[in-house]
Amino acid sequence: MSYEEDIRQETVRRFDFLKDSFKIVRPRRLTLDVAYEKFSEVFDFLVHQGKFDILCAITGTDEGEDLGFIYHLAQESGVTLNLKTRVPKSHPVIQTITGVFPGAEIYEREIVDLFGAKVQGLRQGNRYPLTDDWPEDEHPLRKDWKPANGSGREM
Amino acid sequence: MHDSHEHEHEFKIPLGPQHPALKEPENFSIALKGEKIMGVDIRLGYNHRGIEKACEERTFLQDVYLIERVCGICSHSHSSAYVQAVEEIAGLSVPRRALYIRTLIGELERVHSHFLWLGVAGHEIGFDTLLMYTWRDREIVMDLLAQLTGNRVNYGINTIGGVRRDITPEYGKDILAAIATLEERTKYYIQIATEETSIIKRLSGVGMISRQDAVRLGAVGPTARASGVDRDIRREDPYAAYAELDFNVITDDHCDVFGRTVVRLKELLESFKIIRQVVAKIPDGPIAVRAPRKIPAGEALSRYEAPRGEDVHYVKSNGGEKPERVKVRAPTLANIQTVKHMLRDRFLADMPIVIAAIDPCFSCTDRLVGVRHLDNHKRETLSWENLRLFSLGWHRARGFDVAIAEKKLHNLMEH
Amino acid sequence: MSALFSILIYPGFLFLALFGLIAEFIDRKLYARMQNRQGPPWFQPLADFIKLLGKEDIVPDEANPRMFRLMPLFALTAVVSSIIYIPLWKTGALYSFSGDLVVVLYLLTLPTLAFFIGGWYSTSLYARIGSVRSLTQMFAYEVPLFMGLFSPALLADSWTLSEISQFYVDHPMYSFFNVLGFAISLIALLGKLEKAPFDIPEAETEIVAGTFTEYSGRLFAFFRLSIDIEMVVGASLLAAVFLPFGLSGDAVIGFLIYILKVLLVVFLLTLARTIFARMRIDQMVRFCWKYLVPLALVQLLAILLVKGVVL
Repeated sequence: MSYEEDIRQETVRRFDFLKDSFKIVRPRRLTLDVAYEKFSEVFDFLVHQGKFDILCAITGTDEGEDLGFIYHLAQESGVTLNLKTRVPKSHPVIQTITGVFPGAEIYEREIVDLFGAKVQGLRQGNRYPLTDDWPEDEHPLRKDWKPANGSGREM
Repeated sequence: MHDSHEHEHEFKIPLGPQHPALKEPENFSIALKGEKIMGVDIRLGYNHRGIEKACEERTFLQDVYLIERVCGICSHSHSSAYVQAVEEIAGLSVPRRALYIRTLIGELERVHSHFLWLGVAGHEIGFDTLLMYTWRDREIVMDLLAQLTGNRVNYGINTIGGVRRDITPEYGKDILAAIATLEERTKYYIQIATEETSIIKRLSGVGMISRQDAVRLGAVGPTARASGVDRDIRREDPYAAYAELDFNVITDDHCDVFGRTVVRLKELLESFKIIRQVVAKIPDGPIAVRAPRKIPAGEALSRYEAPRGEDVHYVKSNGGEKPERVKVRAPTLANIQTVKHMLRDRFLADMPIVIAAIDPCFSCTDRLVGVRHLDNHKRETLSWENLRLFSLGWHRARGFDVAIAEKKLHNLMEH
Repeated sequence: MSALFSILIYPGFLFLALFGLIAEFIDRKLYARMQNRQGPPWFQPLADFIKLLGKEDIVPDEANPRMFRLMPLFALTAVVSSIIYIPLWKTGALYSFSGDLVVVLYLLTLPTLAFFIGGWYSTSLYARIGSVRSLTQMFAYEVPLFMGLFSPALLADSWTLSEISQFYVDHPMYSFFNVLGFAISLIALLGKLEKAPFDIPEAETEIVAGTFTEYSGRLFAFFRLSIDIEMVVGASLLAAVFLPFGLSGDAVIGFLIYILKVLLVVFLLTLARTIFARMRIDQMVRFCWKYLVPLALVQLLAILLVKGVVL
């Protein structure tokens, strides 16, 4: 049994409901979908027990009614896991992970600016990457945002 | 005046967005007490160009060229990371020869990037002689890259499914000759950097970051490796031809700017080793496979060890011609967060070298076009206007008249 | 009439300005050649100067305009007037009185003070940091510079430059006792001229142009010119005190030897600039007090011994 399969087995043993969503894409690439209610529990398990202690990036996606978030976690061994979750656009609130990964601050700010997510627990600070006078309610990486129907100003 | 006594003599000075120490707009607002740094506030985003959004509006193939322009120095890293992800989604099996060529260009890029860094580091500590020497030597590898790919930066050699140019056996000889010179120079720089007192005084003990902090803050690349974090994507998650090549991952436990210098210099020697192996082992065969216009639905994460550290690309396709989402995480974004830590209780004078030591990305500027007439060896520089005329003539000779095309386009727009 | 000639033309302002620009050219060219670069053409410093003269003078709104405008001229006057007490190509200087060595050293301190005041009154943050650094640095190098220059004076038993050089012309071998003092003074002179490794007050990558950040046009041109002249005056001073060769002979040969001596000092300054990285201000101060001052004391002690034993 491969190392990737081991990780899968171990995680599924702990969280039975992940049986179908935990997939091995190819050697060293895993993917896992988790509902946001269970997210922090699964995340903590993977980071602390699963040894996924490197955060590569956080990707935001626009999934129509929802906002998707992909936490790209990696092990020292090179195995990388795409941990996916989603929250509805009507209530786009997620918890910060800066408690575990202080370096995630800038990735979370990016999601805040570009997707309009609200990250609870993120400390006060400069916004990134948009300018200070960028309108609060415009989020360029959402699919319905087009340069033309944005603020209409000269960029 | 509500300031406490502690903050009485504190004042803030801005470093950037425009400042001689920075080659790219960023803003560091430094609270100073005398010469001592009390706090640093970093504001990024001045260079945000909306590339991720622009990628969603272009085809997969067009994005290769857009992604290549994320950074002027590690352009090959970005395009490689991107095409790897797209190839994984499309299930293309890239010819081995193409993988070797990608590795070769990638390592040459690392050589040019590390030489560039060493020069910048010299400039930041007021040692311009080092800058002049290293940038002179960097020309060797830049010329080599221009010879192999046609360009000094933004090589444009990657395409989805392989590479666009082959490497002939004669080039192999040129590469080996250039590498031999560069290796000798690198050894000289290692000697300078590790023995010259005035350099060591400015580098050692500056910008300290412990192993724990480097791991906690997610530092990548030479910044992390200089703090003893033994991580290298080329070894852990091998891509291109790295699985078949032999090289060492350089680490150092000085944890300071000096360590970062040593790591980069020793990495150069490893790069030369890799390049020699590539030239010796490169297999025969095709250099590309045909890629479909429409990439099947799917997603892939691609990790790449750029000269500055790990470069992460995430691509998602919905089965169309254009990607659904392209995410780029450049190494500087991971490393910039360590800067605050490194500057704690340091002096203003250390600021430039500490910022430079994570090797933040900056874009390269244009260059003039030099034309060598083969018959009389006269060198001349083309003016912008002449370059334009030359380009029009060049295209016309190949059956494409820009003037006619422009007229057609104009007519099309009017109707 | 002849006094006016000597102040304005030779060896006064015009001669010094030209020599300063030539010295700057030699410094830049050598620096470039040692770095494997082409370097500027011979007229570049002059062209820079003329170009700056034609540019607009911008005085910051918050600056004190009187001080801001006055300081470049003040610095220039101080360095130009100090040359008349230094013996150049013969043992006697143009003017000389008992204790003029102290006056020359004092006059050479004034440009640094002018940089400080000019930088301070331009109210820019970078300029203020630069000017404070400039002053801090002055306290570090002045002492070793003075001590280094006093050792030949002590041996010659005179505080008058003309008498000092006369003494060494009479006893050329004695100048070998001052080799250490020469080295110390040379290093301290680097600090005075704010050249690498002591270019801390104008460290480009930290504080833009330091003291001179807000200066432009004519005022900046005068500051630059006064630094060039300061280099020549400083080199002449070291040459007169430490390199007393070829002073007694023919005026033309004496003049050529004087030029060569100054260029030798300029070359040594350039060499230091090429091979060292910039120090931090704390390292610079520590270096001066920890190494230069004790070495200067050793030099003085040696001179006292020599005086006791030999003379």
